[in-house]
Amino acid sequence: MDNLTASPASSVPSATRDATPSISITNLDLSLGTGAARVHILKNISLRIATGEAIGLVGASGSGKSTLLMVMAGLERPDSGEVVVNGTSFNALDEDALARFRGRHVGIVFQSFHLIPTMTALENVSVPLELAGHPDAAARAARELELVGLNERLHHYPRQLSGGEQQRVAIARALAPDPAILVADEPTGNLDETTGQQIVDLLFAQHAARGMTMVLVTHDAALAHKCDRVVRLRSGQIETPEPERRWTETA
Amino acid sequence: MSLAVESSPRTAISLLPLRYAIRELRSGLRGFYVFIACIALGVMAIAGVGSVAGSLAAGLSEQGRTLLGGDVSLSLIQREAKPDELAFLRAHGTVSVAATMRAMVRAPDGQLALTEMKAVDAAYPMLGALALEPSMPVAQLLAERNGAFSAAVDPVLLARLGLKIGDRVNIGEAAFEIRSAVTSEPDKLAGGIGFAPRVLVSEEALRATHLLQPGSLVRWIYRVRLPDNNATDAGAKAFIDATRATLPNAGWEIRSQSNASPQLERTIKRFTQFLTLVGLAALLVGGVGVANAVKSHIDRRRDVIAAFKSLGAPASRIFAIYLTQVMMLAAIGSLIGLAVGAALPFVIVGLFGKLLPLPVEPALHGGELAMAFVYGLLTALAFGLWPLARIHDVPVAALFRDTVSEERRRPRLPYLIGMAAVIALLIAVVIALAYDKRIAAIFVAASIVVFALLRALAAGLMAVARRLPRPRGTMLRLALSNIHRPGALTPSVVLSLGLGLAVLVTITQIDGNLRRQFMAALPDHAPSFYFIDIPSTDAERFDAFLKQQAPNATVEDVPMLRGRIVSARGVKAEDLKPTHDAEWVLQSDRGLTYTAEVPRGSKVVEGEWWAPDYSGPPLVSFEKKLADGLGLKIGDEVVVNVLGRNISATISNLRSVDWQSLGINFVLVFSPNAFRGAPHTHIATLTPPTTSADEDARIVKAVANAFPMVTSVRVREALQTIGTVVTNLVLAIRGASAITLLAAILVLGGALAAGHRHRVYDAVILKTLGATRARLLGAYALEYLMIGIATAVFGVLAGSVAAWLIVTRLMTLGFVWQAGNAAAVVAAALAVTVGLGLAGTLSALNRKPASVLRSL
Repeated sequence: MDNLTASPASSVPSATRDATPSISITNLDLSLGTGAARVHILKNISLRIATGEAIGLVGASGSGKSTLLMVMAGLERPDSGEVVVNGTSFNALDEDALARFRGRHVGIVFQSFHLIPTMTALENVSVPLELAGHPDAAARAARELELVGLNERLHHYPRQLSGGEQQRVAIARALAPDPAILVADEPTGNLDETTGQQIVDLLFAQHAARGMTMVLVTHDAALAHKCDRVVRLRSGQIETPEPERRWTETA
Repeated sequence: MSLAVESSPRTAISLLPLRYAIRELRSGLRGFYVFIACIALGVMAIAGVGSVAGSLAAGLSEQGRTLLGGDVSLSLIQREAKPDELAFLRAHGTVSVAATMRAMVRAPDGQLALTEMKAVDAAYPMLGALALEPSMPVAQLLAERNGAFSAAVDPVLLARLGLKIGDRVNIGEAAFEIRSAVTSEPDKLAGGIGFAPRVLVSEEALRATHLLQPGSLVRWIYRVRLPDNNATDAGAKAFIDATRATLPNAGWEIRSQSNASPQLERTIKRFTQFLTLVGLAALLVGGVGVANAVKSHIDRRRDVIAAFKSLGAPASRIFAIYLTQVMMLAAIGSLIGLAVGAALPFVIVGLFGKLLPLPVEPALHGGELAMAFVYGLLTALAFGLWPLARIHDVPVAALFRDTVSEERRRPRLPYLIGMAAVIALLIAVVIALAYDKRIAAIFVAASIVVFALLRALAAGLMAVARRLPRPRGTMLRLALSNIHRPGALTPSVVLSLGLGLAVLVTITQIDGNLRRQFMAALPDHAPSFYFIDIPSTDAERFDAFLKQQAPNATVEDVPMLRGRIVSARGVKAEDLKPTHDAEWVLQSDRGLTYTAEVPRGSKVVEGEWWAPDYSGPPLVSFEKKLADGLGLKIGDEVVVNVLGRNISATISNLRSVDWQSLGINFVLVFSPNAFRGAPHTHIATLTPPTTSADEDARIVKAVANAFPMVTSVRVREALQTIGTVVTNLVLAIRGASAITLLAAILVLGGALAAGHRHRVYDAVILKTLGATRARLLGAYALEYLMIGIATAVFGVLAGSVAAWLIVTRLMTLGFVWQAGNAAAVVAAALAVTVGLGLAGTLSALNRKPASVLRSL
């Protein structure tokens, strides 16, 4: 499998996934807003996710699950605490270094797809590869699109695609750099049940095939329970500390 | 493989912004039309002005020899060349002699008209062609026939006096038969713009008129055509140097191709600069449009920017993508502007070629076009950088949750430094390329002040709206809150409307003042007539005659000589370094007078006036501003050449002169003993309490009958001639300003459109809550009206101050505030603001709530 980086924190082969956790969060606190409007969103969160594990993040609206996801993707900086992803501590990285790290190690899938409307499916998928300086971006993007079943739609613009197809393009785009971690924020939230199911199947199939770590934020209990483990958030805290045995179960 | 990727070819990466920028623009330029139009308009104005001026300069230099009438032209005022002088000239090349003077022509029915008479010899014209209707050889034209001299006249004169070819007229004591009409003279421009129509006669005929009196205002011009092997700039220069060395005291004004018409060139340069500044104002206004367009583009692209970031693009990379895009759009706009601007001289010649009194040689002027292109790109960059800098702080979190509060953060330091550098570069280019750097610097400073004031005005307006007590009426409350809410249109509307209005008011005030000056009422107590070439022996008799003809009128009469300043404070005139404003004093001969008393309209501001019976060495009084411009002070010596004699005098005092009184004013006034014995004529003015065309005609006739050698100049007619020229200038100013206005309206429209989405949202929500369309419309109209009035007041103030400065300082004319113009501008501005605003809002009001609510 291609490895897009030379950094020591490169993705770890699945055989060694117990050796170091893929995501390690320790004593994390995060507030948003300023002054009187400041809200304490995440409170003293500690969480370890093993390499290759699939995690379902659930909780009521406003419980902080999306924010936690953003922290894992390096999109939100905590007030305190440590985030280590794939062996790299986020605390040491500045904004641009975080962006580059994300481009190589973290794939993100959004609820509302967020494709670039002025680019075709192929171009959208090429973007992270081009940004990382991949020499063969277009061919590789085409292959990724084929994997999500869109080889007939390479040159369509997002508005010419259905919601399900758009989300497939988004998944192909997230997977193109072969990230060690895939985070998805309610990936089926904007889709009907049948289409949503197809997307879920696609995500889990790719997860299994690539051995990557996957974190899903969802309201859908069925989807959450397809994951190796469910982490429930309430008012910014993890509801029940995960029993140690689940670690071994999933290992 | 993994190692190779990190060190992947940088070239591919550096082209990425360009590739992405093109991808974004592939879907069309929608949303950028205002951007492109703004840049195109400004660049067009600057490129057009530069191209026309360049074509004019090319025409002048190309035809310089023809305009001059030879390789070198030497002119003398009030005297002919002496035989030895003429012999010297003839020894060096072919010489053609011409003489010009003003004279009265009398038709058989007794009607009189002022003309510019020009006497030529058979060698005329040595270069270029004289166009006559009917055409005939010059020798034949000038021959005497049937006891009358021949004359060719300007068709204007024929029309004015109701004459036709073959009719007879009198000038002075000679009779002429009009043989032909002059349709074009190759050397006309060199003599400047004439006040009166041309009459072309022979030298012999001129002498026969008996108008050549000692001291008559006649100009003798000797054109020398050097042998063909020597007809170069170097040859001309060598000849001029030899002439100066051999005949140092001749006192002639010597011109060669390189300075065929310095006055005209200076006028063109100055005017070009003024129009360039107007063009820059258009770009400045357009820059606001660029900033607005870039800002709303970035706002619309927030999701895409965030998506780029989520895919691993550092902020600098995304910034590069959108910067590339902005520069591409600026290049498109600039190229459109360049194309139109470059075509302008061709269009002008195509449409008005025959009518133009100027030799325009249409061509592409690379330098001017490149400059306009640079202006376009720099403006886009200067105004685009601020909104572009926000890209850096677009949060990726926006993709997960709607960011409600828009953080109004100042761009980060590197962007601010970059912006400062671009603005400094733009200012440096504007000032470095300006003809008059001081004016350019003032323009730049004024622009910065206006910008700052408009920002402050917008901030003040919002602060006031925020602090006002909450009105009870929902609509008024809505209008007020729309002015100050976050993301309100107030700053961009105030900026574009304020800039546009300030420019418009400036232009209309200047326009109105120029018209008032030259076309409407004459200044109070301005004379109706000038009489020139009054023989000094007849001066007293002429005075008495005038007083008898017009008993209630004021008559002023002064002696008048013409002379050139040869040197001052011991420095030769050509080595003096005058300021731009004072250059003209040295460029040609000046009217000189002598008097025992301080002249009317003058005030001594430094030094003492000489005693009435002063009899010491000659003294001179200098006009204060010009003395300053030449670096002269009391006690300095000034040498003038009058009638081939050098006369030196000491500056004893400085005067301020009210030039606008149109009275007889002189730069140099000498003590009475300075010109003792020099032949000269008098000049007189007549200022009657009331005037009428009939009365004017009667006086002209009476003077012509009693004093045939005296020439009458009607001030009103002379001003009308100037007025026609001024009208053309005003037209050019208006043309350039129209572009600024168009840019302002575009920017305003763009700014109002930017708030459209917000309006639709408001309108739909309020409609679901039961607001009628009429009430919403009222609230919006109220909002636009409040912003419009506040901005209009500012625009009128700023524009009036700018116009006052330009009219009084730059044009040194009197300024009267044109209330009517200002009111019209304000009314138009309010109509446009409310109209444009409501036009956009109307479509928002007609949206069905359900369709909008569904997509919210």
